[in-house]
Amino acid sequence: MTTQGIKSLESSVKQPTRDRTGDLDDVLRVIYDSISDLNLQLPEDQRIRKSLSTVLFGAGGTLDSLGLANFIVIAEQKLEESYGFRVDLTEDDPFSPTTGHFRTVESLATYVTSLAARRPDSA
Amino acid sequence: MIGLKLHLISDFNLETLGHYLANGKAEPQLSVSVAPFGQVFPSLLQLSQAENPDFALVWTSPQKIAPTFANALNHESVDEDRVLAEVEQFAKCLRESQNHVRALFVVSWTLPLYQRGDGILNLKGKGLRKLLLKMNLKLAEHLENSTGIFLLDGQRWTETVGKNAYSPKLWYLTKTPFHADVFRAAASDVKAAISAVVGASRKLIVVDLDNTMWGGVVGDLGWQNLRLGGHDYLGEAYVDFQRALKSLRNRGILLAIASKNEESVALEALAKHPEMVLRLGDIAAHRINWNDKAANISELVAELNLGLQSVVFIDDNPVERARVREALPEVLVPEWPDDKTLFASHLLALDCFDSAYVTLEDKSRHQLYAAEKQRDQSREQIGSAEEWLRSLNTELMVVESGEADRARVVQLMNKTNQMNLSTRRVSELELRTWLQPDTRKLWAFRVKDRFGDSGLTGILSLEIQSGAAQITDFVLSCRVMGRNVEHAMVAFAASYCRSLGLSELRADYLPTEKNKPCLTFWRSSGFLFDEGENRFTWPLSMPYPFPASIKIHQPSGAEGVQAEALRDQEDESRSVFTD
Repeated sequence: MTTQGIKSLESSVKQPTRDRTGDLDDVLRVIYDSISDLNLQLPEDQRIRKSLSTVLFGAGGTLDSLGLANFIVIAEQKLEESYGFRVDLTEDDPFSPTTGHFRTVESLATYVTSLAARRPDSA
Repeated sequence: MIGLKLHLISDFNLETLGHYLANGKAEPQLSVSVAPFGQVFPSLLQLSQAENPDFALVWTSPQKIAPTFANALNHESVDEDRVLAEVEQFAKCLRESQNHVRALFVVSWTLPLYQRGDGILNLKGKGLRKLLLKMNLKLAEHLENSTGIFLLDGQRWTETVGKNAYSPKLWYLTKTPFHADVFRAAASDVKAAISAVVGASRKLIVVDLDNTMWGGVVGDLGWQNLRLGGHDYLGEAYVDFQRALKSLRNRGILLAIASKNEESVALEALAKHPEMVLRLGDIAAHRINWNDKAANISELVAELNLGLQSVVFIDDNPVERARVREALPEVLVPEWPDDKTLFASHLLALDCFDSAYVTLEDKSRHQLYAAEKQRDQSREQIGSAEEWLRSLNTELMVVESGEADRARVVQLMNKTNQMNLSTRRVSELELRTWLQPDTRKLWAFRVKDRFGDSGLTGILSLEIQSGAAQITDFVLSCRVMGRNVEHAMVAFAASYCRSLGLSELRADYLPTEKNKPCLTFWRSSGFLFDEGENRFTWPLSMPYPFPASIKIHQPSGAEGVQAEALRDQEDESRSVFTD
């Protein structure tokens, strides 16, 4: 899904505690916040840049499997705090180095908004 | 502090903690290695081969160290004595391993919040959490007398994070039981613990008055109208903040005031307000004037003979905090909450005061500084320096250092910067090992005078080789510098060496950024100085004169030294001192 696609989801997503889950900027804010937290444990030259095109995992990415696992748990917690429901970011073959949703920041943001759309109360 | 090495040992994946410790900006900077997880006992036994770490940290799961506890987790009937015997076995292994590091940190055991255990019976009979409490207590007891082992409270870290502290997902993915935030909290405490062991903790709080120690501006309101105590939530918060400051004072942290006020008005408030917790007698020094606070802090530090790296500055005003941060970067200026009800908790949460050893000298530090004030006043009243030194009636007690004073000796060696010949930093264990050969001696010097007992404030160690003696450590607290104690220590060492028939006494000065006062002393000592080698030498064919102003008390068996001291003191006309 592209950035455009994410925006098109915006109108169809309904949130129990907030109504902005589908807003790319809002999702990105949570992801960038998670990146900030993760960067505290990374050496300066391996810290993750906050941009849509940043490769998180796979070829060209800087995260190893432990770093990715920590990032997943941090992001899941922050998403829950922000949106009021628990998300599982390890569904749907997340670790595929080519198609997994942790490939880039953009693919992750897209995945999060699609998760919101899948919720029964989002229709 | 750069280049300290820490080795992590665990039965789970501890890499994340290693990352926080190695990559965090907070001091001390650490180089971290992590043993393969799940091999706690072999890793402890092989600690000596693990790249010579300065420190090691051991973080384990209770069910791994005590397999019988794993049965208890399954609600099987277990023999409590057997669980505690397994704990004892672990403690024994820790004690045997501590010899290979300066300090060994061991994390106390915790259980996940989701582990309900025996529910309402958790703390009764054979309840699971009761058993875990006993295990932690037993571990603490077994490690109590191991001065190089420190038990860290793991529960603080999981409580900080709350219900997400344990992460089943991280466990299944990476064999890491905890959320990253637990390791973040742990890294902060581990760094504080290392700072404490190497003597880098803070010793002085400089605190503001108006709207920090009490509510309101005393110059405008008068002391009668300050918000302090009473039936007022903010007044109570200020009282609690003062109580928190007083509790730190009781731990040996000095308190000083830097306030923009009329001095007489502020002092009247300290003296007269009925709910004031801190009185002037609790304050080691103060600067209450309209001058720049950074300049005032510099003066306070000079007055108390401390370094700026010892100071924490607390002020409600962000402008003053920014000014001090900019002018004095070595001073720790914590961000301070606007909410007054958080002042006390914010202060008590600071980890910069952690100390590995709390000695009698620490606890009475305020009295020592009060005596120093009186001493200074007497110096102003008495004309000549020589007359003043005599009037002090200084007595020097010399003892060969042993286990009883080891903690204080190590603390003094690790904390003293200015009058320190070689700035050797050691752990208790390293010092004990160093002292094993008979050719090495270490004496501790206690100083008292008519104003008070300064406690154990001097250390001199030497090594005898090929008929000569080399001073290894020459350390004197800045509290007693300039009272001829330095000379008396050297005279004692020279006298001791003469009694053994040695040919010369040498001292090699190792320069650091901070030990120039030590060089100044040695240059005035009368010893021959080889500037190229930074070496001072005294030919022991000549006695080194004891200063007449100091009465020296020797350990039994050193009567020869005593006699030489008395002879010298009778011959007051002789002096080699140049200051």
